[in-house]
Amino acid sequence: MAQTKLTKKNRLRELLVTLLPIAALLILFGVLCMVVSSRGYRLDMYLRIIFNEGVVLAVVATGAIFIYSLGSFDISLGASTLFSATIGVLVYNSTQSLPLMILTIFGVAVGCSLLSSVLASVFHIPVFVTTVAMMSVLSAVAAQIITTKGGALGGIGIPAAVVEPLDNLPFKLAVLAVFAVLCVFVFNFTKIGRRLKFLGSNPVCAKLSGIKVNVYAIIAFVMAGLGVGLGAFLTLVYTPSVTPTTAGSIGMNILVAIVFGGMPISGGSRSRIYAAIVGGFSYILLNNILKIVIDSGAGYGISQIVSAVFFLAVVYVTSMNYRTKLLPR
Amino acid sequence: MKKQQSIGTKLIGTLAIPAIFAAVLFGLSAANGKQLFATSISVNYFVLYAAIVMITTMALSINLNSGRFDFSLGAMAVLSSVLSAKLSYSLLGGGSGSAIVMLLLCVVIGAALGLLSGLLYAALRIPPIITSLGVTLIYEGVTFTVTEGKYINTEVRNASMTAFSGTWIWPALIIVVVLALVWFLFDYTKFGYDYKALQHGQKVSVNTGIREVPNALVCYAICGALMGIVGFLSAVRSSTINGGSLNFGSIGIMFTAFLPMFIGGYIGRFSNDKLGYLIAALCMSLLNTTFAAFSNEISASMQSIINALLLVVFLIYLSNEGLLKTLFHRKKSA
Repeated sequence: MAQTKLTKKNRLRELLVTLLPIAALLILFGVLCMVVSSRGYRLDMYLRIIFNEGVVLAVVATGAIFIYSLGSFDISLGASTLFSATIGVLVYNSTQSLPLMILTIFGVAVGCSLLSSVLASVFHIPVFVTTVAMMSVLSAVAAQIITTKGGALGGIGIPAAVVEPLDNLPFKLAVLAVFAVLCVFVFNFTKIGRRLKFLGSNPVCAKLSGIKVNVYAIIAFVMAGLGVGLGAFLTLVYTPSVTPTTAGSIGMNILVAIVFGGMPISGGSRSRIYAAIVGGFSYILLNNILKIVIDSGAGYGISQIVSAVFFLAVVYVTSMNYRTKLLPR
Repeated sequence: MKKQQSIGTKLIGTLAIPAIFAAVLFGLSAANGKQLFATSISVNYFVLYAAIVMITTMALSINLNSGRFDFSLGAMAVLSSVLSAKLSYSLLGGGSGSAIVMLLLCVVIGAALGLLSGLLYAALRIPPIITSLGVTLIYEGVTFTVTEGKYINTEVRNASMTAFSGTWIWPALIIVVVLALVWFLFDYTKFGYDYKALQHGQKVSVNTGIREVPNALVCYAICGALMGIVGFLSAVRSSTINGGSLNFGSIGIMFTAFLPMFIGGYIGRFSNDKLGYLIAALCMSLLNTTFAAFSNEISASMQSIINALLLVVFLIYLSNEGLLKTLFHRKKSA
C-alpha cells in the first residue's frame, strides 16, 4: 500500500517535471506578450524576431539530441553551421543555382559531422576533444574564406531576392515540423533511437548486448549534421549573408536549450526530441524578454545574469528526482 | 605489476616531445632565414606566454582529471582581472606597485570566484558541466555590467605594468612559484592524497571517510586563483582586457590548454604531470613564437588550424599507442 502511494507520488513528480519546461515556455510567451504590450512595442515584430532566432536554434538542437542522447556532446555545431553556410554562399555565387547551394550546405554539414564521428569512433579520440578541434578548424577556415572573399565588407552573401520567397513563417514552420517529425520517428519508433538511448544509459551493457557503438555514433552525428544543414540554410534565408560571427554562439546555446527543455545532459533514456524545440524557443524568449525589460547598454550583461540564474534554477528543479549522495560528475 | 622505468627511458620520455618541437621549429626558422629570439622582447613574450599556458593547463586539468568539466575558467580569468584592475587603479592610481597589487588581488578574487563556483556545484548537486555553463554566463554578465562592454585600458596601462612585461624574470618567477605550490599541494599534502583517491575511486573514497565536498571546494578555489593569475598575465601581455565577451565568448581561453594538457599528461608518465605541463607550455610558447616570426606567411586562421591539427594528430597517436606498438613489433619480428 505504502509502496503504491510512493510510486504514485513519484509518477506525479515525474509528470510535473516533464510538464515544467512546456509550462515555462507558455509562461515566458505570456510574459513576452505582456511586456511588449506594456511598452507599446509591436508584438508581431518581436514574435517574428524570436521565431527566426528560435527556429535556427531549435532545428540544430533537434538534430543534436541524437548526439546528446549518447551522453556525448558537440560544441562544434555552431562553427559547422557557419562553415556550411559559407560554402553554400560560395557555391551559389559561382553557379547561381539555389538547389545546388542547398545540396552543398547539407553535404558539407553532414560531411563535417561524419568527420567528427570518424575521428571519434575510428581513431578513438574523446568526442569532446574532437569537437573542440573541429570547432577551431571550421571557424578558422570559414573566417579565412569570409575575410578573403568579403574584403572590406567583412562578410559574404547571396542576393536577398534569391531567398526572399522562403523568408516567411509557413515555410520555416513547415521545415521545423518536417524535421521534428522525422527525428521523433527515428528517435521514438525505430531501433536506432532505442539503441542510442540504451548506449547513453548504460554503454557497457549496450556493448555487451552486441550494439555496435561506432555505427550508432556515426548515425547520431549524421542526424546532427542534417540539423546543422537545415540551420545553416535557415540562417541564410533570414540573413542572406555570413560574417565570421554568424551562428557563433549556437554550439553552446544548444547545451543550454536542451537542458532548458528538460533533458539531462548525460543523455540516456530520458532524452526527448521535444526538449530541443521547447528549450530552444524558451531560451530565445527569455533573452528577448530580458533585453526589453533591461533596456540599457549594460543591460545585456544583467539580462545574461538573470538568464543564467533562471537556467540553473530550471535545471535544479527538473533534476530534483535524481540527487545522489556523491557529487555528480 | 607496473614495470619500473629506467632513468634513460624517463629522460627520453620526458624530453622527446620538446626536443622534436625545438628541432622542427628552429629548423624551419633557420631554413627560412628567420630568427626566433632576435630581440629580448621575444624572449620576454616567450616566457610570459609559457606562464599563461602552463597555469591555464593546470587549472583545466585539476577539475577535468576528476571528471568535472569547467567551462567557466575563461570567465573567471577575465572577471578577476577586470575587478583587480579597477580596484588596484582606485587604490594606487596606476602608480608604483600597481602590478603587484593587481596580481595579488587577481589571486584573491580569482580564488573567491572559483570557490563560489564550487559552492554552487556542491549546493545544487547538478552536473559540473551544467553548473559551469550557468557560472560562465553569470561571470560574463557581471564583467559586461562592470565594464559596460568596453575594453579596460587606462587601469592596465602604467609604468608598473610595463615594467612587468619588460622582463622575463617576473613571469619566470611566477612559473616557479606556481609549479612548486601546485606540486607540493597535489603530491605532498593530505589534500592531494584525498584528491587522487577521489579521482580514481569516488565511491570507495567517500565510503572510507574522505570528505569529498571540501576537497572539491578547495580544487575550485585553486583553479580560480590560477585563472586569476592567467587574467593578470593576459592583461600584462596585451595591455588591455576585453570586458565585452558575452554568450560564452570567454571559453576560448581554455581551449589553448587542451593540447598542452594531453602532452603534459603523456610526459607525466615518465616524470611528473606538473613538470609535463611546464614542458608542454614551453613547446606551445615556442610554436607561438614561430607563428610570430612567420606572421606574414601564416595568418591567425592558419595558426588555429595548425593548433587543432596538432591536437588531433597527437590524440590519434595517444589513443592508438598500443595498436601502433603492436603493429611496429609485428613488423619487426616479421
